[in-house]
Amino acid sequence: MFEFLFKYPPAVFTKGKLVLLSPWPVWLIPLLLLAAAAGLYWQMTRHGSLVSRARSLFIWLAQTALVALVLFLVWHPAISVARLRPQQNVVAVLLDHSKSMGLTDQDKMARLDAAQSLLKDKLMPGLSERFQVRLYGMDKDAVRVENAASLHADGNATRIGDSLKHIAAESGSMPLGAIVMLSDGGDNTGGIDRETISQLRQIRVPVHTIGFGPENFAKDIEIVEAFVPARALPNSRVSARVAIKQHGYSNQKVKLSARENGKPLAIQEITLKGDSSEQSEALLFDIGEAGPHSVQIGIDPVAGEENVKNNTLVRLINVATKKPRILYIEGEPRWEYKFIRRALEDDTSLDLVSMVRTTQNKMYRQGISSPRELEDGFPTKSEDLFVYDGLIIGCVEATYFTPAQQDLIREFANRRGGGVLFLAGRTSLTEGGYASSPMAEMLPVRISANEKTWVREQAVVELTAAGREEAITRIEEDREKNIARWKNMPKVANYQTVGSPKPGAVVLMNIVPQGKKPSPLLAVQKYGHGRVALLASAGTWRWKMWQDHTDRSHSIFWDQLLRWLVTETPGTVLTSTKQQVLADDGHLPLRVDVRDKTYMPVTGAEVEGTVVRPDGQSEIISLAPDPIEPGVYTTDYTADKPGAYVIELNAKKEKADLGRDTLTFRREDGVAENFSASQNKELLQKLSADTGGTYYTPSNAGSLTKEIAISEAGINAHENLDIWDMPVVFLIALLLRGSEWLLRRKWGVV
Amino acid sequence: MKLAIPLLAVCLLVIAAVELFGWQRYGNAPTSGFQIYDQSDQNAPAEFFFSRLRYNTGYGGGSGYRRGGGGWSQDFPRADHDCLVVLRRLTRIDSPSPLNVVDIGDDRMMDFPWMYAVGVANWAFTDAEALRLRNYIARGGFLMVDHFHGQDDWDRFMKGMGMVLPNAVVEDIPDSDPIFHDLYDIDEKFQIPGEQYVSTGRTYEKDGYVPAWRCIRDKNGRIVVAICYNMHLGDAWEWANDGEYPEKFSGLAFRIVLNYITYSMTH
Repeated sequence: MFEFLFKYPPAVFTKGKLVLLSPWPVWLIPLLLLAAAAGLYWQMTRHGSLVSRARSLFIWLAQTALVALVLFLVWHPAISVARLRPQQNVVAVLLDHSKSMGLTDQDKMARLDAAQSLLKDKLMPGLSERFQVRLYGMDKDAVRVENAASLHADGNATRIGDSLKHIAAESGSMPLGAIVMLSDGGDNTGGIDRETISQLRQIRVPVHTIGFGPENFAKDIEIVEAFVPARALPNSRVSARVAIKQHGYSNQKVKLSARENGKPLAIQEITLKGDSSEQSEALLFDIGEAGPHSVQIGIDPVAGEENVKNNTLVRLINVATKKPRILYIEGEPRWEYKFIRRALEDDTSLDLVSMVRTTQNKMYRQGISSPRELEDGFPTKSEDLFVYDGLIIGCVEATYFTPAQQDLIREFANRRGGGVLFLAGRTSLTEGGYASSPMAEMLPVRISANEKTWVREQAVVELTAAGREEAITRIEEDREKNIARWKNMPKVANYQTVGSPKPGAVVLMNIVPQGKKPSPLLAVQKYGHGRVALLASAGTWRWKMWQDHTDRSHSIFWDQLLRWLVTETPGTVLTSTKQQVLADDGHLPLRVDVRDKTYMPVTGAEVEGTVVRPDGQSEIISLAPDPIEPGVYTTDYTADKPGAYVIELNAKKEKADLGRDTLTFRREDGVAENFSASQNKELLQKLSADTGGTYYTPSNAGSLTKEIAISEAGINAHENLDIWDMPVVFLIALLLRGSEWLLRRKWGVV
Repeated sequence: MKLAIPLLAVCLLVIAAVELFGWQRYGNAPTSGFQIYDQSDQNAPAEFFFSRLRYNTGYGGGSGYRRGGGGWSQDFPRADHDCLVVLRRLTRIDSPSPLNVVDIGDDRMMDFPWMYAVGVANWAFTDAEALRLRNYIARGGFLMVDHFHGQDDWDRFMKGMGMVLPNAVVEDIPDSDPIFHDLYDIDEKFQIPGEQYVSTGRTYEKDGYVPAWRCIRDKNGRIVVAICYNMHLGDAWEWANDGEYPEKFSGLAFRIVLNYITYSMTH
């Protein structure tokens, strides 16, 4: 219909440019139109008494519009487009043959079969007539094939970006006019990078996409992503944040679980939300002993699911063998101090070193590794303080610390990446003068400078919405039981009122004093490279004294809070990578941050790694300094075989050992294609739009053979296509004149 | 008139029985709760309370009623008060509070993780009371006992202690233990007599010639019951301002109790 009215396909108008071919100046058009409009107006006023003013105005407008149309046509309008020259250009056809293309959709036909059929029956005849067609099979890369029928849906992954890059690189040696991609858009790399798009735009090659497969399965549950901490301490409770998408199971209860070697670590019942909407769930589980742990996070298959292979994801967690040390400075003997020490007594994964001011001039130290440790009081040098992984500041007035020590505490979190926990007390926070110290900036909440905030009254505590999902506050494994448990927790002995949380801070628990507004009790936030927590009470010891002696809620809470404080505290050598489970992809970008004892970046270090491969063989890799970031060393490692890899990294400078770190990762093959198996229409549409191409469905792909010629790539010629003779122009003219005539008849002024 | 004498006798017996019960239960001391002694005590909540355990005085050893050794309230309130004054002066422990008497039948003892019990040779518990004290200790409470002397007293003390902690093992505290070094380094210890020393010159009572600093530890080796045997620290605090009572006894008694309190708040 469009082509009948407008003579050309839509692509001509979207990609072409309007030109007026008449040699006369364009400015003459408005001048003549103005004159004509004035003349018609004069004419109208001469016979103004025959019809009403509104009717006269309508007739005048219709006549003026007709004159404007005629003037426009007289100036010879045309659309200027670049057209590929017949027989001189190459069209690359990419046919996705990854495993997801083997899925059979509702039309009972495999996607690849449908694509091959479309290619053979509708596209190839039209394309081959005018272009040289190069056929590529696409999965991890684009590989040239002679015959589409030879392709099978056996590719382990789809990397659209890499495939397009490959074609773009080849375009230097051939007149590439356009790319046609037949795919379900199930890219496994998380999207097409900007670099590829800009490369295609540079060579002006449009990518026309034809999408296969349904946008959603009728019945499917998929684990979209599972975020877990890369590192944990032995026997820690870790929190996984799981993103789930489903279709066809709204409001259904399913079991979300974490398993290791088939053994359940946690099972939680969840209710699925609306179709196609992504929901996020927290799953907490105990990770176990030191070493790499491969955890399967998934939802038990539900009856009728079309694809059960996307119900489980594998994630790797390295459980450290190191024993973090936490320094706790307390301004006076108090029960909270005693009970915190007792809570950690059975935890062999943490070392609590404490110093308490028993008198004005005496400091009592506990948990020290040698009589010299902390002999001179709270550390004054960064290299002495930064040997600890975490820091607890109890009831100590800010002025007890020198200005240099206050800065050091701030740098402990900011630069060293340690965790700092501030506790309430009669000389803490507001009463301790913290508001005017550099430490105020670190706090996750605002504090006032001079109010009375310390209250020795018992108060109820409650979990916030965030606290219900957080590992720190998860005393019971089951979410609902945990909420109920906190509701029955004994009151804390005291509290300190604090202000509102700062942007980026998360309040996990509130204190609810009788007859007063709730106030943050436990708030946490990231600060620089580290993290900061505030516990606005020194009376959690009542959770121990007022519950049965076998009850472990107090010790579990403190254990988890302090583990959170130090788990992510880095050593002087820290290895990181984007993801530790490589799905059908062996490319592993490695980054190592090297710091000295004061946690300043070290340049000029030698950083080497020993990779132990799945077959037991090892190889040495060297990392090169990053040209922009000092203290950062990088390399790209390729894991060519599936399985578990261990990399031991070591940094040295002038023969001095700067530190070591270990990274484990897995490569898994044959899993990526099970995820995002429905058509990613959004990605295909965006790819076409960004490159000047068009997105087609299999049903309207027939028009592609006509539209594909309009391209500025390859060998092309600009053509001016007349539009004055489009049927729609005559229809408009007829409509204007006809409606005027009909109305005149009706009004009796013919 | 014939009935007058029997009636009078019955009335006297009833009154005596009630009084005896009262004495056994509470002695003749004030009731439980916070009690302000003088202007140095503030009616304000505090981190630390000098809490005295009020227990029942019973028929020690099952051999009948015994009055010897007195009840829970001996030396109260002066001893407790003097201790608090020293504590406030010499440590950073926050304790502006009044004196505190904690009843063995009151669950509120869980709010006071340090308690002092005196004259424990004659303490006696019901099963519920023993269980409460056992829970108190198991949850993290610290009990200091004082002023009982000689073998008979020890046996009766252990009978009560056996109800509270049936499998408890009592041991001598070595000089190197942190409890003698957390605040003051107490390397030299000697018998601390009661106020009778002023008139008799004897440092011992009954057959308690040798002082012993003993304890019961929990599974982690932490002292949970500190036992001051064959000595009377309470008198040494109470009579610290008496010119005739030697300062060296009071000095050591204060250092010991401050160390014990510090220990209870740090271990």
